[in-house]
Amino acid sequence: MDNNKRNQTAVTNSIRQRTIILAGAALLCFAVVVANMFRIQIVNYEKYKTRATQIQLRETELSAKRGVIYDANMKVLAQSATVWTIFVSPAESDEEQHELVAQGLSEILEVDKETILKKLQNTGSYYEVVKQKVDKPVADRVSEFCNENDIVGVNIAEDYKRYYPYGNFAATILGFCGSDNQGLAGLESYYDEELTGEKGRIISAKNGLGLDMGVDYEIMNESKDGYSLQTTIDETIQHYLEKRLKLAAEEHKVEEGSVGIVMNVKTGAILAMAVYPAFDPNDPYTLVDSRLYDSLMSIENDEERTRAISRARQKQWRNKAVNDLYEPGSVFKIVTASAALDSGSSSLASTFNCTGSVKVEDTVMRCAQTYGHGFETFSQALINSCNPAFIDIGLTMGKDVFYDYFYSFGLAEKTGIDLPGEQKSIYYTDKTHTTVSLASCAFGQSNKITPIQMITAVATAVNGGNLVTPHLVSNLLDSEGNVVEELTPPVRRQVISEDVSRTIRSILQENVKNGNGKNAYVAGYRIGGKSGTSQKLDTEREDDYIASFVGVAPCDDPEIAILILFDTPMGESGYYGGQLAGPVVGGLMGEVLPYLGIEPVYSADEQSRANVIVSSITGYNITDAAVKLQRSGLKVKTVGSGDTVISQYPAYGTSVAAGSTIIAYTEEGASSMVTVPDLVGKSPSATYNALTSRVLNIKEEGAYSGNSGVTVSAQIPAAGDKVPMGTVITVTYMDKSSLE
Amino acid sequence: MASKSKVKPKFNIQKYFKFTEKGAKIDMPIFLITMTILVFGLIMLYSASYVVGIYRFSGDSLHYIKDQVIFAVLGVAAMLFASKVDYHVYRRYAFALLILVYILLVIVLFMPAYKGCHRWITIKGVGTFQPSEIAKFAVILIFANMIEKNYSKMKTFQYGIAPFLIILVSIVALMFFEPHLSGIVIISAVSAIMMFIGGSDVKWFGIGLGIIAVAIVAVIIIFPSSVSYARSRVEMWLHPEKDLQGAGYQAYQSLLAIGSGGLFGLGLGNGRQKHLHLPEPQNDFIFSVVCEELGFVGGIAVIALFVALFLRGIYIATRAKDKFGAMLVIGIVSQIALQAFLNVAVATGTIPTTGISLPFFSEGGTSLLMLLGEMGIVLSVSRYANLEKEE
Repeated sequence: MDNNKRNQTAVTNSIRQRTIILAGAALLCFAVVVANMFRIQIVNYEKYKTRATQIQLRETELSAKRGVIYDANMKVLAQSATVWTIFVSPAESDEEQHELVAQGLSEILEVDKETILKKLQNTGSYYEVVKQKVDKPVADRVSEFCNENDIVGVNIAEDYKRYYPYGNFAATILGFCGSDNQGLAGLESYYDEELTGEKGRIISAKNGLGLDMGVDYEIMNESKDGYSLQTTIDETIQHYLEKRLKLAAEEHKVEEGSVGIVMNVKTGAILAMAVYPAFDPNDPYTLVDSRLYDSLMSIENDEERTRAISRARQKQWRNKAVNDLYEPGSVFKIVTASAALDSGSSSLASTFNCTGSVKVEDTVMRCAQTYGHGFETFSQALINSCNPAFIDIGLTMGKDVFYDYFYSFGLAEKTGIDLPGEQKSIYYTDKTHTTVSLASCAFGQSNKITPIQMITAVATAVNGGNLVTPHLVSNLLDSEGNVVEELTPPVRRQVISEDVSRTIRSILQENVKNGNGKNAYVAGYRIGGKSGTSQKLDTEREDDYIASFVGVAPCDDPEIAILILFDTPMGESGYYGGQLAGPVVGGLMGEVLPYLGIEPVYSADEQSRANVIVSSITGYNITDAAVKLQRSGLKVKTVGSGDTVISQYPAYGTSVAAGSTIIAYTEEGASSMVTVPDLVGKSPSATYNALTSRVLNIKEEGAYSGNSGVTVSAQIPAAGDKVPMGTVITVTYMDKSSLE
Repeated sequence: MASKSKVKPKFNIQKYFKFTEKGAKIDMPIFLITMTILVFGLIMLYSASYVVGIYRFSGDSLHYIKDQVIFAVLGVAAMLFASKVDYHVYRRYAFALLILVYILLVIVLFMPAYKGCHRWITIKGVGTFQPSEIAKFAVILIFANMIEKNYSKMKTFQYGIAPFLIILVSIVALMFFEPHLSGIVIISAVSAIMMFIGGSDVKWFGIGLGIIAVAIVAVIIIFPSSVSYARSRVEMWLHPEKDLQGAGYQAYQSLLAIGSGGLFGLGLGNGRQKHLHLPEPQNDFIFSVVCEELGFVGGIAVIALFVALFLRGIYIATRAKDKFGAMLVIGIVSQIALQAFLNVAVATGTIPTTGISLPFFSEGGTSLLMLLGEMGIVLSVSRYANLEKEE
């Protein structure tokens, strides 16, 4: 090529200049894009990251196992078992299989087929629950069904179901759980957070179709199981309480519920607490009272019926011991008496004269004993449960001192028990008290408190004066059973002196032996107690009462207090606390104290109730046998003409009352059957005579037999039965003269 | 070279095919840039496409990358071969190729539609190709030829504008029927660049812009509803998250991918958006995958490579032996850079969504083969360019 041509074709400067413009324009364009990238990736990184995460990740919750509720001895009262939730993911399912899926699941799970089909039509959804709380065999059948038919979009997830192995046992304490295992009542509700634990989660990546991308893309946070509760409840004592409360509540036709509390007076630990009737925490929504249920179901109006049933459920879930207020009646006199002695406004030397009624300003207030108690000491006033005397004591003390002690005994504030919905008391303060209100409050009317407040105040009065906090849980445990946290609350304050406390105890003990509390008597145990009968002033019927009794034992160094309360008893035995609740307290004491390892100590006048184990006299000659039995405080009666004992009744090893007679047979075939006499209604002496004349032995229960007014209320075996001589006839004494 | 025989035969094979002179070296920088982009692109394509491969082709994660690697190997061979061919021979084919393109652009209209567009010609047993891809090269070739021939008269309308416009408008008109709007944009822009560099009078560009402005005003007056349509398109471009069920979905997914990449990204292969969130992660939105997995840094690297390719190409053009070579190189590198820019701009939401693949990255064998072949031509031009010495 020649130069000319080369010049013609050569790249010109114009081209070079214009390329610079082109390059500049290109750089500018790319700079805009880079700036935009900077804005997206650096400036708004968090925003896009968050939004991307929302569409890319799926969070699946892992259930945490709910903690166990144990009794004081680590018996299981409530626990969670693994169950399964069956759900469908319509978004992942194959529409052609819907019919088959609905058919199969409805058969296995007993769920309406149409309901399942409807759920499957929510095609955008990944989670439509078909059935919850399915047991393993059923869940296995579902997965088998899915495998056999190559079904996609049916899922099985692990879940937990709450079981209460003893049914309605301790229901009011334990409460129950809802369908999502959330505690709805009782300890389940109060300690819900601790019991629940922490849910774990699986974060899995999902693709644009919403499908999981596999385990490689998963992050798993393990769930943390909930803490377990070690309660102060003793399963044995709770059983005693529930058994006796149920029997008594049914016998006395209690309409508005019965309450029983057994408390350790030194620590405030609740050993047992029961409300009758009790629901079953496994099935809390079923109304226990089937007659009530039937009557509610007969309500025509749908809305009204639903509301009525809902109200009835709320009522059966209420823990009357904590959630409801009542006027404690004469039981409250323990508090008034303690305050009077501790403040010095009255003393044991104070005397009163009861004429059966007293006029306070313009209001006439009556004593239960309408003809009056006459002249009485401070102790007698409490034993007689004399209202005029306590009006006197209250008015002498004055409203400031009265309220001061009312407050100190913890009656103006919640006790702090670890149960939900503790009711706050309604009371007169030093500012609102009138003379009339002070007078009626002094003997236990007008102020309204909860049963748990009442028993806590009594515990304070008898334990040396220390206000304790009633509580149900002593320890939080981890899943291995190690103590994570001790929850026993400390004593709150000293309310009355040790001396006054001791005085109150001795008066209460005297009251059980010889006063209004006789029915709570248990030989060998120093039981103190006070009955209470209060009129319900806020109901339509005028003759609705609350009968209650509080007992403490042993009185020299009290361990436990028991409060039994019947709201509106309508049975034939009337409504006096001493007669209705007293025997329950006594019966319970007789079971609970030996169970707690407290040995009976019989005083001289209680020897007849001390038990002796019969030793073997078979093979002995008669003289030796008599000596041997005498040594253990037993008598012998020989039947037959022989010299050697060939059999005996009661048999070797039997427990009989001291002073009982053992029949020693010295001859084959000697007949010795006698007829059991009818003892009900007889006095102790008449009973004793009737039995000894027939060579029958007696075992005394119930009220102390050294008292006047005590009669036999029950006997075993029944009158008319033919029994061998020497048979032990158990009689229960009852004090029916008490008006409290 | 031609000095040995003064008497030339009538038919000289060397006019139609001729190797470059021995000893002339290709430009190593642009070769290395090209190879880097190619390898980077293949790696990213594998990462971006394996999920789609698994879902669309029954678990075949290698579906896309297999073909692409085969074409990459063929393409590199083609590039090396083309770099050995004296680019001047292409002048002989320029007109014929243009005629062929017209024919293909007509034939393609009768091919079965894919997603409503007649863009692909399928040759049974060989594969598919887009005539508009060939059209781009044909236009570059004929324009380079025309500019060299008529350079001195480029300032005139008769030589500097009219012939170019006739070819461009006729090709654009045919592509309009496919329709292939992104192709039209690229071919028009590349044409404009070549005319501008080739010396067309700048005032005509001003007049052209004026005509476009008048046309837009006319459209607005005649179809007032188009304003609201345009506004909604712009609105969606600015706020893609507002219409996630509809057209905003793609753009939004892309933004999420890019945004969640942050500065350094989630790591190669760890992208999440390619798991069927992103539309066509192996094609139009492969840049989003790069940004998600390699972050801002990775995205900048891609852009920097294309910018480097473009600037080095321009450098070669300015040092080329002749205007034909210079214009070929400018046309080719402009086309690549423009396509890269448009793709990246779409992915980042800088401009409204339109389907443009990222050169060397996006899946598409014939396209890759052509790109590498064109780079071969650039290399061929570089052999003759005076790259060592300053003039």
